[in-house]
Amino acid sequence: MRKYTPGRRTALGLLSAGIAAPFIRPSFAQAAWPEQTTIPDALKGSGEVRIAGYGGTMQEAQTKGYYESFEKLSGIKVRPFPGANAPKVKAMVETGNVEWDVAQLSRGSIMNLQKTGDYFEKIDYSIVDDGVGKEYRFEYGLEMLLWAQVLAYRTDAFKGAVPTGWADFWDTKKYPGDRAMFGTGGGGWPEMEIALMAAGVPADKLYPLDVDKALASYSKIKKDVVKWWETGAVPIQLLTDREVTMTTVWNGRMAALQAAGVPAAISWNQGLLKRDAWGIPKGAKNKDNAMKFVAFSTMAIPQARVSLGIPYGSVNTKSDEYIPAARQEVLPSAPAIKKQLVNYDYDWWIANREAVIPKFNKWLLS
Amino acid sequence: MSEIAQPSPIAVPLGAVRPLLRNWRRHVPLMLVAPLLIYMLVLYALPVLAMLLRSLNDPTWTLSHYTALFEDVVFAKTFWITFNTSVIVTLGCLILGYPVAMGLVRAKTMAPLILVVILLPFWTSVLVRSYAWMVLLGRHGLINEGLLALGMIDRPMRILNTSLATQIAMIHILLPYMILPIANALRQIDPSLLRAASGLGATPFMTFRQVILPLSMSGVAAGTLLTFVLALGFYITPAMVGGPRDITLSMLIAQEVDQLNWAYAATLSAVLLATALGILAAARHLPGVGNAFRMSMR
Repeated sequence: MRKYTPGRRTALGLLSAGIAAPFIRPSFAQAAWPEQTTIPDALKGSGEVRIAGYGGTMQEAQTKGYYESFEKLSGIKVRPFPGANAPKVKAMVETGNVEWDVAQLSRGSIMNLQKTGDYFEKIDYSIVDDGVGKEYRFEYGLEMLLWAQVLAYRTDAFKGAVPTGWADFWDTKKYPGDRAMFGTGGGGWPEMEIALMAAGVPADKLYPLDVDKALASYSKIKKDVVKWWETGAVPIQLLTDREVTMTTVWNGRMAALQAAGVPAAISWNQGLLKRDAWGIPKGAKNKDNAMKFVAFSTMAIPQARVSLGIPYGSVNTKSDEYIPAARQEVLPSAPAIKKQLVNYDYDWWIANREAVIPKFNKWLLS
Repeated sequence: MSEIAQPSPIAVPLGAVRPLLRNWRRHVPLMLVAPLLIYMLVLYALPVLAMLLRSLNDPTWTLSHYTALFEDVVFAKTFWITFNTSVIVTLGCLILGYPVAMGLVRAKTMAPLILVVILLPFWTSVLVRSYAWMVLLGRHGLINEGLLALGMIDRPMRILNTSLATQIAMIHILLPYMILPIANALRQIDPSLLRAASGLGATPFMTFRQVILPLSMSGVAAGTLLTFVLALGFYITPAMVGGPRDITLSMLIAQEVDQLNWAYAATLSAVLLATALGILAAARHLPGVGNAFRMSMR
């Protein structure tokens, strides 16, 4: 006889995912954090810089990671804002009412917008740290955070079997249960790379994406995908409530879920390595301070501090020496993990998204 | 009366007011609505117009965004889903709402309690109510666990993340908009008509069919119209509890905004607005609805 528990677990699940998460910190013991003590004179200044990020735990990690030390060392006051996104930058620049000096976006959203007009300032690379790899630099932005879109699953769902890649995600016989995947809702680009890898395309032969092949692969799992999610909280809630047994997630969100005691795990293999980037909206009032902040935040120690606060990786090669080995096990930038991930090609998407997204939507509704 | 009707100096510039002042009593109604009218014009109508203009002049003057609609399969499907959902939800509200409206009107001492029960969810945010439905409808939620415990099913059903979940949650949210106009119409029915009907030998059912139902049609029409037009614009609820293919027109608009296709987003918005206005305009000519408009003016 089943015990009757009226939605208690569901309610608890919602609570733990939604409310408890900010209190159970997936961050690393504070004592081990490195401290930035000096900065080049070129980064010093006065006044303020208004920085748009995502709020929540990300903002907490950034405050401890580099907002506080930047204020102290540069003399420039930091004013953080939540809710960064490209449509708002477009609206601000077009109306001439630019309320942010820096915004956390991505190479994709920055270049996508820049393609249609002049919306961003060029980055002043003369003050950016040498440790920041060439691959993270582009004309109108600087990538400043590595994260991964990976496979996550309920460890109690498959009787001990462990899914290790997208072929397993597609295999609903061996790994029964519903799925959730990233959709096009919140301005996102669908995970065509994942559909192709599930169909056997090797990770190094993904681009240029074969869209028709990806859609054919998607078709095999379509009826099992109960949600095409658009924000990172959704897959976490679906896993917590046991609505799905497997989903794609943003890796940083999983740490809070695991800390809350939900039996769930990440499989890094074949995950997509993505990057966030700072962009400086055209006409930002404190443009110079913004440049200084962008340069400071990508230095080795500030980058390492963020990685200790939230499990996202650094773009500065010198950060690794400040990050303890135990922490490296959960960072997408750690060499052992990074080599399992696929470097996401924003440029392909910028060039092709206009044709690809309607095609995906059409497939979804057919 | 005359004190209230003094025109506010903020609302209307003096030059424009002078001819009005001469026989100002005739213009009292206009003066009363002027502050709200100006407020709505500046903060609502102008931004909406500016937004709609984008569908015509972005990047240059063109009708191409509108002609594109005809070839857009995604738009056609989304429009159909939105329309279909609105019809189902409106019917659901009518079937569930009419008896409640009758109960509300008939109840004497219980009436305030019933009214509070109807209005309580009305005062809760749509987001919170959608979350509540997630807790109830989930695979391990109250309904599934209850049915399992009663032995009526042997494995949890998928209710959350389906179109059914969207319809259930939307009906819940929109019910008050159906119940209140119907109750209002029922309340207007002269009780002596009911006594006359039964005095002439009508059964309670005949009284309902031939007296109550026809006389309440104005309320039914008003409630149906209100519910349907509101249902057309739903966004949060289908996104949260709906199935993988429950993309409503509002969700498509939001997606086009996020994908930076603002001109097309404006075009879709214009279509949604035109649909709602079109339905309202067409409905005015239906028998009974005109009454409803007049009734709500009382």
